[in-house]
Amino acid sequence: MSRAAPKGSPWPPERSADSPVLLKTSGLVKVYRADGVSVEAVRGVDLELAVGEFVAIMGPSGSGKSTLLHVLGGLEPATSGELWLRGQRVDGLSTSAWALLRRRHIGFVFQFFNLLSSMTVADNVELPALLAGATPRQARKRREELLSELGLTDKAGAAPARLSGGEQQRVALARALANEPSLLLADEPTGNLDSSNTRDVLRLLRRTHDRGQTILLVTHDARVASMADRVINLFDGMVADDAKIVPIPRGLNGVRDVLELRG
Amino acid sequence: MRGTLRWARADLRSRRGQALLTVAVVAGVAAALFLATMLLQGTLNPWQQLFARTHGADVLVYFQDRTDTSELHSLPGVQAVSQPYQAASATLAQGAQKSPVELRSMTPVPPAMSTPLVVAGSWLRASAPAGVVVEASFAQAVHVGVGDQIVVDGIDGTMTSMRVIGIADTADQGFYPQWTPGLIWVQHGLLVKVEPNPGETQEIVGLRLTDSSAVATGQVVQTIWNLYNGPDQNSSSAVERYSTWQQVQNSMASNDRLLGLLLALFGIIALVAAPCAIANVTAGRVLVQRQDIAMLKALGFTPGQVVRMLVAEQTALGAAGTVLGLAAARIMTSPAFVRPPDGTPVGLAPLSGSWVAVIGVGTVLTVALATIVPAWYAGRVSPVAAVQPSPPHGHLSRMARLGLLVRLPAPLVLGARDCLSRRLPAALTVFGLAVPMVMITIALTCWSTVDGFTRDPGRIGLAAAVTVSQGGLDNKQAVALISHDNQVQAYYPGTSFDTLLPGDNGTFTARAMGYSWRPYPFQVVQGRLFHAPNEAVAGQGFLDLMHIGVGAWISPTIEGVPVILHIVGRTIEPGNNGDVLDFGLDALSDAGAAPGQLVYSLVLKPGVPPAAARASLLAASQNQLDVQVVGNPADGLGVVRAVIAVAVIVLAVIALANLLTATAIGLRDHVHEVGVLKALGLTPRQVMATLVVNTAILTTIGVAIGTAAGLVIAPRLINMQGQTSGIGAGISDGLPATTIAEVLAVALATAAATALFLARRTTRIADSAHLRSPGRPSRPQPRSSPLRIP
Repeated sequence: MSRAAPKGSPWPPERSADSPVLLKTSGLVKVYRADGVSVEAVRGVDLELAVGEFVAIMGPSGSGKSTLLHVLGGLEPATSGELWLRGQRVDGLSTSAWALLRRRHIGFVFQFFNLLSSMTVADNVELPALLAGATPRQARKRREELLSELGLTDKAGAAPARLSGGEQQRVALARALANEPSLLLADEPTGNLDSSNTRDVLRLLRRTHDRGQTILLVTHDARVASMADRVINLFDGMVADDAKIVPIPRGLNGVRDVLELRG
Repeated sequence: MRGTLRWARADLRSRRGQALLTVAVVAGVAAALFLATMLLQGTLNPWQQLFARTHGADVLVYFQDRTDTSELHSLPGVQAVSQPYQAASATLAQGAQKSPVELRSMTPVPPAMSTPLVVAGSWLRASAPAGVVVEASFAQAVHVGVGDQIVVDGIDGTMTSMRVIGIADTADQGFYPQWTPGLIWVQHGLLVKVEPNPGETQEIVGLRLTDSSAVATGQVVQTIWNLYNGPDQNSSSAVERYSTWQQVQNSMASNDRLLGLLLALFGIIALVAAPCAIANVTAGRVLVQRQDIAMLKALGFTPGQVVRMLVAEQTALGAAGTVLGLAAARIMTSPAFVRPPDGTPVGLAPLSGSWVAVIGVGTVLTVALATIVPAWYAGRVSPVAAVQPSPPHGHLSRMARLGLLVRLPAPLVLGARDCLSRRLPAALTVFGLAVPMVMITIALTCWSTVDGFTRDPGRIGLAAAVTVSQGGLDNKQAVALISHDNQVQAYYPGTSFDTLLPGDNGTFTARAMGYSWRPYPFQVVQGRLFHAPNEAVAGQGFLDLMHIGVGAWISPTIEGVPVILHIVGRTIEPGNNGDVLDFGLDALSDAGAAPGQLVYSLVLKPGVPPAAARASLLAASQNQLDVQVVGNPADGLGVVRAVIAVAVIVLAVIALANLLTATAIGLRDHVHEVGVLKALGLTPRQVMATLVVNTAILTTIGVAIGTAAGLVIAPRLINMQGQTSGIGAGISDGLPATTIAEVLAVALATAAATALFLARRTTRIADSAHLRSPGRPSRPQPRSSPLRIP
C-alpha cells in the first residue's frame, strides 16, 4: 500500500519523543452540527501531558469527555484550536495522515471492546503490528508476548464473540499495546465490566504504566481515576479542574489525601 | 499491505457463504456471456468455425477426368494441394422428389484437408462398401438419417441402392438447398458402380493458399484457369468449375437475424444485471460492517486503504468467478461439434482465445467498477464507532399513529414505520430486487413468445403448415387430391417471383397467394388485408427496403409485367428477412402476367400434425405430389430456450444474493430493538413479525416494481427486435396472467422465507445482550452472549 510505513522504517516505531511534553492542546474546540443545530461538545480545552504520565479525565455524562478523547486521537477533526503531539503540530492533519499517526503512535481502548468480529483474537492483536510494517514473524512474536502477559494464550484462536467481557477488554488492551505506542487512549475501559474484571484490567493498566507507558483515560468511576497520577475534571466541555493526586505518607495523624488545586 | 491481506483473508473466511455467492454469480455471468457469444458467432457465421475445424480448403477446383494436376503444387500462392478425388453427378430418388447429388469418392481414411466432420454414425468403413456418408444439411433437407436405405440414379438411369452409415459437416460447400447439388461421400467401388463411365466423372482438387484474401484467391484462380484452360491447350477446357471460400461463406451466412439479436439481448442482460448485483452485495456488506470499518480506521487504516482493500477483495472474488465460469462453459461445450437439439446446421465451436480474453477481462473490470461506489462509501465512514443512526423523526409518524388507531396489528405498524426513512438501505433493497425481476420477466416473455411461434404459427404468418407442388400431376388432379383429404381445412394456390427492386440494387420476393376475394390468412398487424386485385400487403423488411409505409402505391415489374399495387397493410413475415410483397393471383392475371406453376399452401385442421398430413397426401397421390412441411423459424430458436433457462437461473441467483443482503441490512438496523420490544411487552412472535415486516415491505415493493417494469418493457423490446430483423413488430406474446402470478408468488414466498429464517436466528439471542450494548449489535449467533451478570 503506498501510504504504508515508509520502507525501512523500523518496527516497533521509536517511542521517544523530542520533548518531554507528549501531548499539548491549546484552546481546543469541537462543535457538532446536525440538522441546523450545533452542539459545542468541547469548548476551549488546554491541557498538557508529559511522557510517562497517567492522566484520568472525569466528568458527568455530556461533559464532552469522550469527544475530547476522540479529538485527541484524531478520530474526529477539531473545529479549532491547536493540538501538539510528540512536539509536532497535528490538528490540521488530513484523515490519512492521522491514520498513519495513529498506526504508529497511538493505541485505543474503547468501552464496548470493539474487537473485529471477523478475526480471531490472535489476528486482532497482530493486525496493528502488520499494519505498521512488522513482518508476520515479528507480529506473531509480539502477540505471543502480549497474550501470555495478559493471561490469554489459550484463547489465541478463539473468536471474540466467545470470550467474556473481561477477556475481550484484555484482548483490546493487547491490541492497543501491540505497537508500543507513545500514547494509550482509553475511553471508559471498565465501563462494561463487573468488579473482578475491572480489577484485572486496572491491574494491567497499572503494570503498563509502571513500564513507562503514557496513558490518558476517560472514566466516571472514581476508583479507576484514583489510580492515575493526575485527574482532570471536565464540565460542559471545559476543564473545571486539573489536579495531581499526591498520596500523603501515612503519618501518626491518620490517612489524609490532599489534592493540590491548580488554578 | 500485510495488514490489509490479513484483514481481507479473515473477512473472507468469516463470510464464506457470501463470498461463495459472489463467486457463483460472477461465474454464472461469465458462462452466460461465453455461451451467448459462442452461439452468436456460430449462428451468424457458421462457416468460420466449420472451416477451422475441418481444415477446409480455400479453393476447390473441378477438373475433367484424368487431368494432370501435378503442376498445381508449384503455383505461386499455393500452400498445399489435396489429393484429387473422383466425383460424379447423380440424382437421389425419393418417390416423386428428385434431388441432385454429387457423389464424391473417398477412402475409409479421412483426408487431411477438408476433413468431413462426422456428427452422426461413422465415417466410411472398409467393411461396408455400400455404406455412404451424407452431408448434414442435405440429409436434413431430404429427411435422411443414419441407417436409411437410399436409391441413387446414375446419369444413364441405373438405380443403385446404398445405406447411410454416417452424417457429416463440411466447409466445402454451402447448405443445401441454397447450394446444390447435395453431397454424398462414397467409396470408390460404389462410385464406379453408379457411374461406370470415367468420362462422366470429374476430378476435384482442394487448395490451401498462403494468402487467402479475396484478391489473392482471385489471382490464384485466374492463374489456374489460364494454365489449364488457356488458349494454347488443344483439348477442351480442363477446369470445369471451381468454388472459393468466399462463395461458401456467403452461402452459409444466416438469414436469421432475429436469433442473433435475441442472443445479443442476453449478453446485455448479463452485463447489466451483474454489476447491479455485485454493487448491491458489496454495498450491503459495507453497511453491515460499518462498525468494523470504523474500528479499522481507528487502528490506522487510511480511507484510501479501505477503498483499495474492498475493491481488491471483490475483484479477486470476481476473477475467481470469471475463471470458474469460463472453464465451466468451455467444458460444457467441448463435445466436438455441439448441435442444438433440433438439428439446425449451426456450427458451434469453442471461442477463440481472444474472445475468451475479452469476456474474462470485461467481466473482471465490471466487477471492479461495480465495487467502486460502495467502497468509496466505506472509505468515508467515520472512525468513531457511532451508535446506529436514529430515524429522522423521533416520534411516531402520523401514518403510524393512524395505523395503531385503526387497530392494525402492532408488529405491522412498527415494522413499517421506518422502512422507507433510511433511504440508502431502502433504495438498495428495492433496486436490488427490481432489476433481476425486470430481467426475469423479459426472459420469460421471450420464452413465451418463442413458445407462441410453435404453438400458433398463424400468429407469425405461417398459417399453412404444408405446401404442395404439382410434381407429376396436373393442376386439376392435384386440387382434387387436396380437397378430398379430410385433414386439410383450406388450401390457397400461390406462386412467387424474385423481383428486382427499382434501381436494381437488390431483390425482394413478390408472392401471389390466394385470390383477392379469398386471400391467404396473413397475420396483418397494421392496416388490413387486401380485398381488391390492386391491393397488397407487405412485410416490414420490404417497407424498410423501399423506405415506404402502409398506404403507399408502388408499381414493381413482375416477370416483365408492370403491376400497380396499393399497400394496405403490414404483415408479419418470418422468412426472407421480411422482404416480401403479397397480393392475390388475380392481380397477376389482371396485369397480364402468367402465374406459372402453382404451389398450394394447405392450412390443416387444428391438431393435425404436419407430418401426418404429408404422409397421407403422399400415399393418396402415390408419391406423385411434392409435399413439403413448412419450416418454422422457431425450430431454429431451440437454443434460445436453453439460453433463456440459463439466464433465468443466473438472475434468480443474483436476486437471491440481493435478497440475503437486504435482509441482513434490515436485521442489522433493527436487531438492537429486539430487547426493547420484548421489554415493552411484545410476544416473541410479534417481535419476529416486526423484524420480518420491515424487510418484507421493501422486498415486495422491489418485486412489484421489477415485474411491472418488465411487463411494460418486454413487449416493446421484442417488437423492436422483430422490427429490426425485418419480421415486423407485433410478434411478442405477452405473459399469461397465471405465469405472472406464479412468478410473483415464488419471489414473495422466497423473500418472506428468508426474512423469517434470519429473523428467527436473531431473536434467539438473549435480550439483555441487546439492551446492554446498543452501540454494538452482535452478529446473530446460536450461542448466547457472554455478558451474564449473576
